[in-house]
Amino acid sequence: MLRNGYPAELVVRQANVLDPATGLDGPMDVRLSSGRIAEVGEGLRGPRVLDADGLHLFPGFVDVHAHWRTPGREDEEDIESGSAAAAAGGFTGVVMMPNTDPIVDRPVVVSGLVRRVERESRVRARVSAALHVGLAGERLTEMRLLQQAGAFCVSDDGLGTASAGVLRNGMLYARSARLPVILHCEDHTLATGVVHDGVAASLAGIPGSPASAEDAATATALVLAAETGARVHITHVSTALSAALVGFFRDRADVTADTTPHHLTLTEELVSTLDGLYRVNPPLRPEYDRAGLGMALRDRVLDFVATDHAPHASEEKELPIEEAAPGFLGHETAFAALYTDLILGGKLSLMRLVETMSCAPGRWVGTGGSLAVGAPADLTLVDLSEEWTVGSATLVSRSSNSPYLGRTLKGRVVGTIVGGEPVHDRTGARFGARA
Amino acid sequence: METKGLLTLEDVGREDIREILDLARAFAKGRVRDALEGKTVCLAFFEASTRTAVSFELAARRSGAHVISLSEKGSAIAKGESLVDTVVTLDRLGADAIVLRHQAAGAAALAARHTSAPVINAGDGCGQHPTQALLDLYALCEALGGFEGLQNRRVAIIGDVLHSRVARSVIPAFLQAGMEVALVAPRTLLPPDEGALDLTVLTSVDEALEWGADVLYMLRLQKERMTGARIPSVAEYSRFYGVSRRHLDSGALVMHPGPVNRGVEISGDVVLDASSLIPDQVAAGVCVRSAVLALTTGAAQSVAA
Repeated sequence: MLRNGYPAELVVRQANVLDPATGLDGPMDVRLSSGRIAEVGEGLRGPRVLDADGLHLFPGFVDVHAHWRTPGREDEEDIESGSAAAAAGGFTGVVMMPNTDPIVDRPVVVSGLVRRVERESRVRARVSAALHVGLAGERLTEMRLLQQAGAFCVSDDGLGTASAGVLRNGMLYARSARLPVILHCEDHTLATGVVHDGVAASLAGIPGSPASAEDAATATALVLAAETGARVHITHVSTALSAALVGFFRDRADVTADTTPHHLTLTEELVSTLDGLYRVNPPLRPEYDRAGLGMALRDRVLDFVATDHAPHASEEKELPIEEAAPGFLGHETAFAALYTDLILGGKLSLMRLVETMSCAPGRWVGTGGSLAVGAPADLTLVDLSEEWTVGSATLVSRSSNSPYLGRTLKGRVVGTIVGGEPVHDRTGARFGARA
Repeated sequence: METKGLLTLEDVGREDIREILDLARAFAKGRVRDALEGKTVCLAFFEASTRTAVSFELAARRSGAHVISLSEKGSAIAKGESLVDTVVTLDRLGADAIVLRHQAAGAAALAARHTSAPVINAGDGCGQHPTQALLDLYALCEALGGFEGLQNRRVAIIGDVLHSRVARSVIPAFLQAGMEVALVAPRTLLPPDEGALDLTVLTSVDEALEWGADVLYMLRLQKERMTGARIPSVAEYSRFYGVSRRHLDSGALVMHPGPVNRGVEISGDVVLDASSLIPDQVAAGVCVRSAVLALTTGAAQSVAA
């Protein structure tokens, strides 16, 4: 963790505190001490005070799906820039996906990443190792040794697992290694296109992948999760049917699932722009799915939001859709996009949004997600009234492939605190003011 | 002991096991001689075997039996004759016992349905290997002060339980002897836990010792399991599921049905250590199999008389 020279003790004064985990809701003071929440109440005093009148204070956001491109593509993002982007988006915790170069499939790669995270990351970052050697879906990785080297979970993200038999053994072995499994559900015999196989793709003449590519793989993963007893997390659910399948298995398997801000706010219509920027995997879906995902999140069929933050260099995105690399930046726009479209659009309560960005993913990773006294002092401060226009100059990430470029969003993260230390500060002079 | 042959240990009770072990001890001490005089024992090995075949042959010959040995080479088995036809032929030729080794589970039971001679299962696929379990009990009794000495002892069965006929025989044998049994294996090498086996599942040899194992029963990891589908690497397997010298400080005994993969499930310097019962297991094979042959052919009654 970076040390910014801030004091070990800090009182955040008069923020609108909202924490679904403890039920806190209203203006109050929060005192942080020795990296933990020390006290919540009125008229708290301390050597340093942050005047947060007019701001909202949430438990820190946690993003279980991030690609920080280290090792291998540090030109697109690295631990320093990725964690700075996460902090700018209010994320105090992140899980790094293993589809790097080299792939995170050996203990020595994991231990190297864990050491670098300690030195270079502004936020709590956990390492996901690969479920299979080379993410090739054949040989199991040495999960027991990966776990000892510091891996937090295993994943097939980016590719998915081709064979159900291989996936089943992966789940069984991960259960013995006591590692959760994050699954990217995609059937490659169905996913032969580059965008959603819908109206926009048909009109534009771009090869599409049907929703069944995701739904069939999700169904397979859920059946296997129920049978093996593995702890399974289905990431970036993008269709209403896959969400419903997760709901069906809610009490039949040890399963959780997330969806992304972009699948909750954008649709396949963007394909008609023919702009490579809008290629993402799983692809943007029709309005029916977008709306269905929002309802699934509201109704607790889906557990939380994860961004699938996937930086790409401009030369990989300024291409025809068919040739562009799939993926969007996610950290910095997640809250604002969801606040603007879902909260202000009346589709979701702010309380539920905080639950899905902070509490539920915090519980999943085992740290944060609560403002209870004694919990780690991981906090996000937001100005709900601030309007801002997303532009490459406003983004902290080393890349700029945000699907919200040019859009004006409402609600902005102005401060992020990890373990009591500010790691992102747009509050102006307010941090560090003497009482 | 009222039984036709020995196909499995799943339905053999505690007193029957004790009777077999007592008789085996009589054979070992030389108190019983020529018990199988005039009997014909046929060894039908459809699958390669070294120690089991040799052990049965010695067990039969030392007790005075005629032995007819069919292996997969140089017999009708090599010509593709079916299991049933082979054992029916042996039966009609006057065999008093048919010792069968086959690559498929259930082969011994199938053979027994077509013969009047008793069939002794010498290992069928991933099914059963009852004489292995009996000789294991025998060796363990010798080490722990008799059959009653096994009561409440803890045995950890470590390795590829899923594909092991030895495991399917030693589990009921150890349970009948009053031992507590835990399985130590990755879930990829275990039967589904909601199945018939309601046993403690542990995830390393270290955990087995923390659990208080008196005996570490190591299973052989077949070569075809080392391709990465069920276990990632030999290095990881041996790190968590292999026994090495540092585990011996606990005083636990080490057993293995053989043949050993040195450096995989058991490190080379453990195989012949004082804690290892592996040579005793092999040595116990002859007297235990003599006893099984004597009991299944009815020869033991005349011995006792």
